[in-house]
Amino acid sequence: MTAAVRTEWLKLRRSRPPWISLLAATIGTAVGGLFTYISLHPEQARDLGLLGDKAQLASLEPGWAGYFGLLAQIVAFGGSLIFGLTMLWTFGREFADRTAKDLLALPTGRGAIVTAKMATAAVWSLLLTGYIVVLGLGIGAGLRLTGWTARTAIDGLVRIAVTAVLTIALTSTFGLAASLGRGYLAGVAALFAALFSAQVIAALGYGAWYPYAVPALYAGITGRADGPHVVGYIAVAAVAAASLAGTIGWWQHADHHL
Amino acid sequence: MTGDPVVRVHGLVKHYGRVRAVDGIDLTVTRGEIYALLGLNGAGKTTTIRMLLGMITPTAGSVSLYGRPLRQRDRAMWADVGYLVETPAAYPELTVTENLRLVARLRNVPEKSAVDTVVRDLGLGPVAHRRTRDLSLGNQQRLGLAKALIHRPALLVLDEPANGLDPAGVVEIRHLLQELAAGGVTVLLSSHILAEVARLATRIGIIHKGRLTTEMSTVDLPGLVRRRVAVATRDLTAAGDVLRRAGYSPVRRDAILLLDGVAAEHPDDVATLLVRAGQPPTHLAVEQEDLETLFLRLTGTEVAP
Repeated sequence: MTAAVRTEWLKLRRSRPPWISLLAATIGTAVGGLFTYISLHPEQARDLGLLGDKAQLASLEPGWAGYFGLLAQIVAFGGSLIFGLTMLWTFGREFADRTAKDLLALPTGRGAIVTAKMATAAVWSLLLTGYIVVLGLGIGAGLRLTGWTARTAIDGLVRIAVTAVLTIALTSTFGLAASLGRGYLAGVAALFAALFSAQVIAALGYGAWYPYAVPALYAGITGRADGPHVVGYIAVAAVAAASLAGTIGWWQHADHHL
Repeated sequence: MTGDPVVRVHGLVKHYGRVRAVDGIDLTVTRGEIYALLGLNGAGKTTTIRMLLGMITPTAGSVSLYGRPLRQRDRAMWADVGYLVETPAAYPELTVTENLRLVARLRNVPEKSAVDTVVRDLGLGPVAHRRTRDLSLGNQQRLGLAKALIHRPALLVLDEPANGLDPAGVVEIRHLLQELAAGGVTVLLSSHILAEVARLATRIGIIHKGRLTTEMSTVDLPGLVRRRVAVATRDLTAAGDVLRRAGYSPVRRDAILLLDGVAAEHPDDVATLLVRAGQPPTHLAVEQEDLETLFLRLTGTEVAP
C-alpha cells in the first residue's frame, strides 16, 4: 500500500493538474475576498457596476463569521469541481495514457492501487482546502474584518473542514465513473450530472437528503437553518463507500482490453 | 531443470457475444523455452496473452503458472512475471528513470540498483533523464521491455516485442531474450512475423481464428519450407509435355514451368530429361518458399501468385 501511495504521489506531483487546481483555488478564494470587500464597501461596489450589483444580491454577512461561511461555500462548490476533476484525472489518465494495463499483474494488488489513487487525490484536496483557508485568512486579515473570536474561528474552520471532507468523499464517484468509462469523459459527465442534479434537487426542496447537495447545504449556501438531514450525511458516507468498493471491484473483475 | 512446465493452458476460450476470439487453446511452455505465438492481426494472440496475465477472464478453460491455477489476486504469482502487452505505455510527464522507479516500487524491488541495471541492459542510458513523451517509438519499446525486466522475472510474456525497433534494436533484443532464456527465464511472446520468431523462438505455435492450428519446433521449420524447381526452355509447351510424360506435374507461370515435390530434391534429373528430349533448359533453379509464404500457407491465408 505504501508503495502504491508513493507512486501515485509522484505521478500527481509531476503532472499539471495540481498546479491548475492550485490556480483555481487561488482564483476562487480571491473572488470570495473580492465579494467580501464589495459587501464591506457598498459605495465602491456601485462604482463597479454589474459586479457590484451581484455582490449586493449575494447579501454577504460582513465580518469573520460570514466570511468563514463564504470560504466553506467556496470549498463546497469550487471543491466539487476542483477536487472532482483531480479525482477523475487520477483514474482517467491511466486509460488516456494507456498505462492502466501496467497496473494489472503486479505484486501490489489492484485494490491497493485504487485505494492509493483515491487517498492521494483526497490528500491533495485536503491540502488545497488548507491552502484556501490560509489564503482566505490572509485576505480576511487584509480586509480588516470584524468579529474575530476564538469561538468564531474554531466554528468557521470546523465548518470548512467538514465541508471539505463531505465534498472529497463524494469525489470517489467520479473515480468510479472514469474507470467504468475508461477515460476522462465519463468522469466529467458524472461530475456535471452531480452538480446539476444537486442544484435541481435542492431547488425542489429535497437537497437535505440528496448526497451531492449535502456539502453545499452544510456550508450554509441557503442559510445555516437549512442544513442537511442526518439521512443526507449517511447517504454521503454510503455513496463514498459504494464508489470505493465499486471502483476496486471493477478494477479487479472487469476485462481490461486497453 | 529445463522441461518443467511454467505455463499450462487448457481449453482456453473467450467469447465476445457471438465472436469466438479464442476458441479452445491448449499449450504448455516449459522452463527456459522461448515460445512464440504466431498469428495474423486479430488471430487471438493478444486476447490469449491477456488471459494468461489475468487481465481478461476466460469464458472457459484454465491457465496455470508454475503449477498453480491462475488467480488474479494471488500477488505472489505476479512477482515472477514480467510483461509487455501491445504498444508500450508510460507516463509522459515523467522521465524514463522515473517511470522505471514507479514500476520498481510497485514490484517491491530496490529502486536504484534495479533501475540502473535495466537502464544499462536495455541501452537506455542516453535517454534516462528524458521525458517519455519525447522518446522515439524504438526507445518507448525499450522502456516497455525494461519495465518487464526490471525485477528479473522467471517468466516473460511479451506481446510483439520487436514493434517499432530498428534492425539493430531487433537483433539486440533477440540476443537479450536468448541470453535470458539460456539463464532459465521462460519467454512467451507473440508476433505476426515468422522470419523474426524463426530466429528467436525455440517453439512456435500458430494461432489462427482463435485456434492453435500448428505447433512446431523451430528446428523442424526448414522441413516445412516447400522447394520447387523453376525451368525455362525455348518451347515451354513441348517441355511441359515431356515433363508430364515423365510423371511430373509442371505448372506454367509466365515464361517458366514450376515443379513441386521430388523435382526439387533431384533437379539434375529434370535437366537430364529435358536435354535428352531435345528441350535443353535455358534456366533452371531451385526456389525456396520464403517464410512469409510459409506462414500464410500454414494459417490457410495463402495468397495466389
